[in-house]
Amino acid sequence: MLPLRDVQAAFRRALLAEDETALAAFVDGGAARIDVHRNNLFASLGEVLRDGFPAVCRLVDERFFAYAAHEFIRHHPPARAVLAEYGGSFADFLADFPPCRHLPYLADVARLEWLMCVAATAADAAPLSVAALADFAPEATPLLRFTLHPALGLLGSAFPIDRIWRANRHGAPLDDAPIDLAAGGVRLEVHRAGSEVVMRALDPPGFAFRQTLRQGGTLEAAATAALAEDRAFDLTGALGALFREGAVIGVTGTPANCEAPS
Amino acid sequence: MIASETVERGIAGAIGVGLRASHLAAFIADRPAIGWLEVHAENYMGGGAAPAQLDRIRRDYPLSLHGVGLSLGSAEGIDEAHLLRLKGLVERYQPCRVSEHLSWSIAGGTYLNDLLPLPYTEESLAIVARHVARVQEVLGRKLLVENPSSYLRFRHSTIAEPDFLAELVRRTGCGLLCDVNNIHVSATNLGFDASHYLDALPPTAVGEIHLAGHAAVMRADVALLIDDHGSAVPPPVWALYCSALRRFGAVATLVEWDKNLPGLPVLLAEARKAERAALATLGDHVAAS
Repeated sequence: MLPLRDVQAAFRRALLAEDETALAAFVDGGAARIDVHRNNLFASLGEVLRDGFPAVCRLVDERFFAYAAHEFIRHHPPARAVLAEYGGSFADFLADFPPCRHLPYLADVARLEWLMCVAATAADAAPLSVAALADFAPEATPLLRFTLHPALGLLGSAFPIDRIWRANRHGAPLDDAPIDLAAGGVRLEVHRAGSEVVMRALDPPGFAFRQTLRQGGTLEAAATAALAEDRAFDLTGALGALFREGAVIGVTGTPANCEAPS
Repeated sequence: MIASETVERGIAGAIGVGLRASHLAAFIADRPAIGWLEVHAENYMGGGAAPAQLDRIRRDYPLSLHGVGLSLGSAEGIDEAHLLRLKGLVERYQPCRVSEHLSWSIAGGTYLNDLLPLPYTEESLAIVARHVARVQEVLGRKLLVENPSSYLRFRHSTIAEPDFLAELVRRTGCGLLCDVNNIHVSATNLGFDASHYLDALPPTAVGEIHLAGHAAVMRADVALLIDDHGSAVPPPVWALYCSALRRFGAVATLVEWDKNLPGLPVLLAEARKAERAALATLGDHVAAS
């Protein structure tokens, strides 16, 4: 008897590795029929990537994008069925994809579009108000760590990728003003506001503050990182804004009125 | 509650359409009359605007959840985390029906994003039955299992597809989603008689019927029908629909359209066509949905 596991492994190999020898021995009808399934797989996932990365597609043109997407799908197929969650490693793939080397900013544009995909469909989570800080011992405040909203993303780039993205999003005029790649980098935040995905540029201390918290650093470490960018950084203001914007969904630290260990 | 009154009115309430993202706003703003709506469960498993819009729509229409990602036929087992996400949707939207496919998509931890065919053997029957039972246990309700569209046949299959489905029903108590377009597509591609297939399904198990269009293509000198949901329902599928109604009674029916999705009025006109076909076949005497 031919175990189902072997049949499915052969099918997987026929679709992704384009090696049909094992599968062809199990089925009637041959290559044209197996091709229907391969087309379904690559066309549907290619569409997912095209929808998720429209500016990348416009930067490289449709035909090249289809080729790059095909290679990405072959080597990095999805692991799960929720396709809104597919494409997180596409930017890293493009960064290492030799035919894209002449577009040094392309991978960062892809990273930005991925953050927009995440912002659109990340899990809903109830934001905390700044009053949540009252639950913690004041002397332990520097050691607090924050969980930021899953829809919030931060991205620094050596290129003006916000301008590149705006000039290449769907419907943007083709004859936009030229963008000077040497004009300098940007620090961007992508978030969800109601049902809208919003992007804005952050100043260096504001970005360092949020990035440190996002990476799991303490409030003290975040303040230190921000002050290293600008000695006039307003910690109280930045902390208030973080809560006001609904960016904090969890705080961990030493609770107030906690008995000292004996 | 326009929709539930429609259900009371009989056949019209049994006809639904597949809800796609580009029609969400029109359903919310205009609340067009239609018996019920069906969505692909996987499109609402995240957060943000889409699931919130679906909450809004659920207030006006009965909703069916149609999964495409459980991979009931995977030899390596079903993804329990995915099943729990489906359970979350079932709790949130209280659907009138929950359905999945007789197929597989996951092998070696990779999701192949197509409804891939199973060899019909005692081994695969035992695997699918185990997974359907598990899904029904976790969801606490009956699952409808849809017949696939087929392009190839495994040489070592020993069970005919409708017999496989009938036995699955017997072992698990699941229901069936009878996609008459898929039957027509498979019958043409594999060369079997579609009406014999219908006759072999257990009639009381069928809880939903799907209607859709397909495309005729030539692939390396092989003429095939592709189940692309990209056009109006063609005449042979309407004919098979009427046969299915005569055999199964006034079963809830869905018009699916994915590729080349037209404006909502065209889709709703197709649903009215299904309603007229059902009225002509059965008369307006049985309420369903």
